[in-house]
Amino acid sequence: MKHLVKGQGFGAVIGVVLMLAVFSLIDASGWWTAQTMSNVIHYTAILGILAMGQALVIMTKEIDLSVGSVYGLAGIAFIMLQPALGVAGAILAALMIAAAIGVLQGYAVVRGGLPSMIVTLGGLFTVRGIIYVWTGGSVKAFPEEARNAFVTRLFGGEILGLEAAVFWMLAVAAMLNLVLWATRFGNHVLATGGSAESADSRGVLTGRVKIVTFMLCSVLAGFAGILTLADQPQTHVTIGDLMELEAISAAVIGGCLLSGGRGSLTGAVLGAFIITSFRYELIALGAPSSWFITFVGVVLIVAVIFNQKLARMAGHSV
Amino acid sequence: MAHPLISVKNLDLYFGAFHALKDVSVDFDAGELVGLVGDNGAGKTTLIRVLCGIHKPTKGEVWFDGARVKEFHPKLAIDNGIETIQQSVGLCDNLSIARNFYLGREPVKKILGIPFLDFAKMRGESRKVIREFGLRDNVSADDEVERLSGGERQSVKIGRAVEFMNRVVIMDEPTNHLSVREREHVNELAVQLKEQGLLVIYITHDIFQVHKLADRIVIMENGEKVADAKTTDMTAEELEEVIRQGGRKVEKRGAA
Ligand SMILES: Nc1ncnc2c1ncn2[C@@H]1O[C@H](COP(=O)(O)OP(=O)(O)OP(=O)(O)O)[C@@H](O)[C@H]1O
Ligand SMILES: [Mg+2]
Repeated sequence: MKHLVKGQGFGAVIGVVLMLAVFSLIDASGWWTAQTMSNVIHYTAILGILAMGQALVIMTKEIDLSVGSVYGLAGIAFIMLQPALGVAGAILAALMIAAAIGVLQGYAVVRGGLPSMIVTLGGLFTVRGIIYVWTGGSVKAFPEEARNAFVTRLFGGEILGLEAAVFWMLAVAAMLNLVLWATRFGNHVLATGGSAESADSRGVLTGRVKIVTFMLCSVLAGFAGILTLADQPQTHVTIGDLMELEAISAAVIGGCLLSGGRGSLTGAVLGAFIITSFRYELIALGAPSSWFITFVGVVLIVAVIFNQKLARMAGHSV
Repeated sequence: MAHPLISVKNLDLYFGAFHALKDVSVDFDAGELVGLVGDNGAGKTTLIRVLCGIHKPTKGEVWFDGARVKEFHPKLAIDNGIETIQQSVGLCDNLSIARNFYLGREPVKKILGIPFLDFAKMRGESRKVIREFGLRDNVSADDEVERLSGGERQSVKIGRAVEFMNRVVIMDEPTNHLSVREREHVNELAVQLKEQGLLVIYITHDIFQVHKLADRIVIMENGEKVADAKTTDMTAEELEEVIRQGGRKVEKRGAA
């Protein structure tokens, strides 16, 4: 219990409980339906994967604004390369493209000593531009046999009545939690965000740590894009638009402090759950979908205030 | 003839336009305890930060154990056996004592072939060492460094350096924040390390204290080395006078 309260994700746990209580009260019929639940869980899994990657980057005291575009580009690469490489080959190639973008951006941040906010903002536009050029603005879809291929179903199908993405998200969450909290690399990530200068002085290669987290973040964004398009194998140029903001919000709602070194991967997934729930609750209530962004904004601000209070209560200087 | 363990030759270092180290040359031998003193801002910390790989000199050479140091990085210095108690950095507030203790050299235990952190060892060892260094029972190895007092932090840094001591231990004002008892403990340790054959470089403002401990005193002033004398050749009062006068050049190191 003590561990839980001290953990950065505690605020998100309270948030989820509050939210579910309120949603049940105001709208018992529309919220707890199988359709709404299934949508919420599916999209939470996708956004959760992006949010965990973002959380890792934020924990090193950087930020990655390019994940929405990378999500889109990897998804599109998956569809566009399938005729040439097959489904599995296209997945590998898409992930490699994502990894390369992450490494490039990380490299620019570390070696160039540039703010990641600017580098990845550049990444956001550049990659989005590539999406436009590559697709020519048109819609591309999988042929029937690729749609039904085993690998496509493995990432986009259903297992035990649940979207495959949910299982992939849980697997990624378990793995990343182990890596972050129980390996040397994880200790170096936390130290880099806590005090890069101190970590450096102990021989930690903080530059390399940052490059690797940027790469992981990009790969996870790409993976989320593949999961989405394996389910709905059809491209459109706006895919992933604004998703970087949802991912950052999810990570922050989940307890990641932008001051670095503190955060929670589980919290990031809960943050994704909160954001996604608002989206579908608004739909269930029949509210215009344009309200969604406003709600995300309000929830984000409330969450930041709340998490900061929690962190101060736990005695952290933030 | 045997070469010095560390040899600094005509070192210059600029921070932008600011000339922080000016043509500094100094040798350090194994088995020696050298006091490094001088005014605030004289360049003591800057000099040892070159030795432990944090700063790269603008000009000049550093030799370690007979080989020219070509690349400056803390990791390389640590791999060479140089352990440093930094003046203002070295601990990550967000990490536990145990995690800080082993930062950069975490022990691992393989489970299913995957190297996971060996938490039992990290906790056990660091707990043992912080108790030795006077941290009370209300502080556990799992506590974040953030909640420690200044003296407790300093003790963690010293305990860690001593635990991993290898060939060189550099102490940058190690007794800052420490109680009288812990100060004596640290000073005794410095002498013990030297007696075990290590090179100890000890930065302090307490010239009388370090004169008692050290074999040699190096004085810096304004980025320059202004004195380098065996403690048997100059009294603490004479050395203090040199600092007070702001660095009339004195060279009294006997052997060539
Ligand atoms: N990273 C840096 N960038 C710019 N100037 C610096 C930097 N580090 C040190 N300096 C400057 O270099 C000079 C020497 O600093 P240094 O820390 O070496 O002094 P010191 O002898 O250790 O002093 P003290 O006894 O106060 O610790 C100071 O004027 C300081 O302001
Ligand atoms: Mg200093």
